Amino acid sequence: MQLEKIDDYRWLIPRTYKAGMLTDAVVYATEPLLEAIRRDQSLEQAANVAMLPGIVGRALAMPDIHQGYGFPIGGVAAVDGQDGVVSPGGVGFDINCGVRLLNSNLTLKEVKVKLRDLVHQLFRDVPSGTGQSSRLNISDNDLDQVLQKGPQWAVEHGMGSEADLDRTEERGCIAGADPDAVSARAKQRGKPQLGTLGSGNHFLEVQYVDEIFDEKTASEHNLVKDRIVVLIHTGSRGLGHQICTDYVGQLDVAMRRYGLDLPDRQLACAPIHSPEGQRYLHAMAGAANFAWTNRQLISHSVRGAFQRLFGEAVHLPVIYDVAHNIAKIETHLVDGKKKRVLVHRKGATRAFPKQPVFIPGSMGTASYFLLGQEGALYETFGTACHGAGRVLSRSAAKKGVTAKEIQKELESRGIIVQSLTREGLTEEKPDAYKDIEAVVDVVQGAGLASRVARLRPIGVIKG
Amino acid sequence: MFEFLEHTSDVGIRARGRTREEALVAASQGLVSILVNPSPFRPVEERYFKAPGTDETAQIINWLNEVLFFFDTDGLVFVEFEIDSWTSGEITGRARGERFDIDRHEFRTAVKAATYHQFESHPTSDGWEIRVFVDV
Repeated sequence: MQLEKIDDYRWLIPRTYKAGMLTDAVVYATEPLLEAIRRDQSLEQAANVAMLPGIVGRALAMPDIHQGYGFPIGGVAAVDGQDGVVSPGGVGFDINCGVRLLNSNLTLKEVKVKLRDLVHQLFRDVPSGTGQSSRLNISDNDLDQVLQKGPQWAVEHGMGSEADLDRTEERGCIAGADPDAVSARAKQRGKPQLGTLGSGNHFLEVQYVDEIFDEKTASEHNLVKDRIVVLIHTGSRGLGHQICTDYVGQLDVAMRRYGLDLPDRQLACAPIHSPEGQRYLHAMAGAANFAWTNRQLISHSVRGAFQRLFGEAVHLPVIYDVAHNIAKIETHLVDGKKKRVLVHRKGATRAFPKQPVFIPGSMGTASYFLLGQEGALYETFGTACHGAGRVLSRSAAKKGVTAKEIQKELESRGIIVQSLTREGLTEEKPDAYKDIEAVVDVVQGAGLASRVARLRPIGVIKG
Repeated sequence: MFEFLEHTSDVGIRARGRTREEALVAASQGLVSILVNPSPFRPVEERYFKAPGTDETAQIINWLNEVLFFFDTDGLVFVEFEIDSWTSGEITGRARGERFDIDRHEFRTAVKAATYHQFESHPTSDGWEIRVFVDV
């Protein structure tokens, strides 16, 4: 594919690249990152996203872009809030997969001496959800409340505080969630998994503040060097997976009725204001609220584990909680005019000015705390990247390495890892991903988000 | 007979059989092999599968998603699949397996869903082939 270089961080796929593109696509990357991105089909997928009916501005690809199914992971598309379409594939199966960062009042030195015990305790207290159900045993009515209210439900049941909600995107609740739009199957799949971490790339990390780049913002969030923090990365579990499955199927049928045609069936979509589009958005809101509740309940378990080992005086307040797989109605400037748009963020994080953005690195490498910048509002509908981005397929990652070797290598660097599966370690090994530093350089260089602090892991729990 | 295909973030299954039904059974077994090591599981519990769809693609995707649904809800890992009927509107059949036990069985990778992405199902010179990518 011939790309036009805009500057050191931006590349253009012109709308003339292939028939059906309604707008240009912009890829945020440096030249070396682009070389890695070219190895899979993600740029073709970004061009396909530019075909979504009602798309406004440009289709966008973040520097951690890699090939997904239909939409690329790291893809962003805003569509006209009135005449555009909603695509469940533009959100993904793991609706409101996201990241929450907890602060603490502990130092690296204090935690290091009990690190192994802490990792074991966290592994016991935060179930992965495979072969071990949630310990909550909630009723059907409770589940409906979770879908409608999000983590407010957890707060009402003594598993969190109003302060936690204040530090969560949307206070953990997208309005309009309708439990009736969520199938019985989705509820059945999700109910036993509330409060569980999941597996694959989901994880829980005990980290410390390794370096601070923006003293003012760090101090506003009460962060100092060597402070212990906890990063939680998970989403809406089987509930979200089933909702996406249900609606991709339904919209695949509906889109033909609406005369819509796209190059990949996984991009199935329907007009936002059609009955099918609205039902999906009501179900998606329920899954998003479920995911925020999930991260709230895991926070509750994490707090319990820390208090057990370090005493009742230990506090783990939420710094922020942000989604990276979601579609949201927002108001943005389009061609100089304010416009209501539906922003699909598929493996991309909302990064409004002054909003914390967390970019987890690969297992055992650093993560970043960034702050959204004005530039993001003007060019990316207030969006930045969401991770390092895979480069190796899972089977390639597994070749020539054992879980024990990875565990040993990480331990030699002072990182204790506990995983339910061997695949959790081998498929997610550090070099299966791009270099987080290179990805963060791009979002900073392009003015989308800026570095606040670098966080390094010392304990990793994987499902 | 099945094999796995390279994909940056997901896993592909290429399944072959003498007939379309055999290819679907092979694809189902491939999917189970992504989830767990299937060798110790016995066919002791049975579930009915019903996979409607407006075309063959949707029906196959829905069938494979049945495997994931019963794994998530009942913890069932299927080792035997039988297709009873395959009409223009749906596939119906049965699957037999055993409940997953974290202490006895080896879990591999969670699968979120079977996808339409780069899906193929077509006859070959000696039978039938299905290619499907699943989101892990």
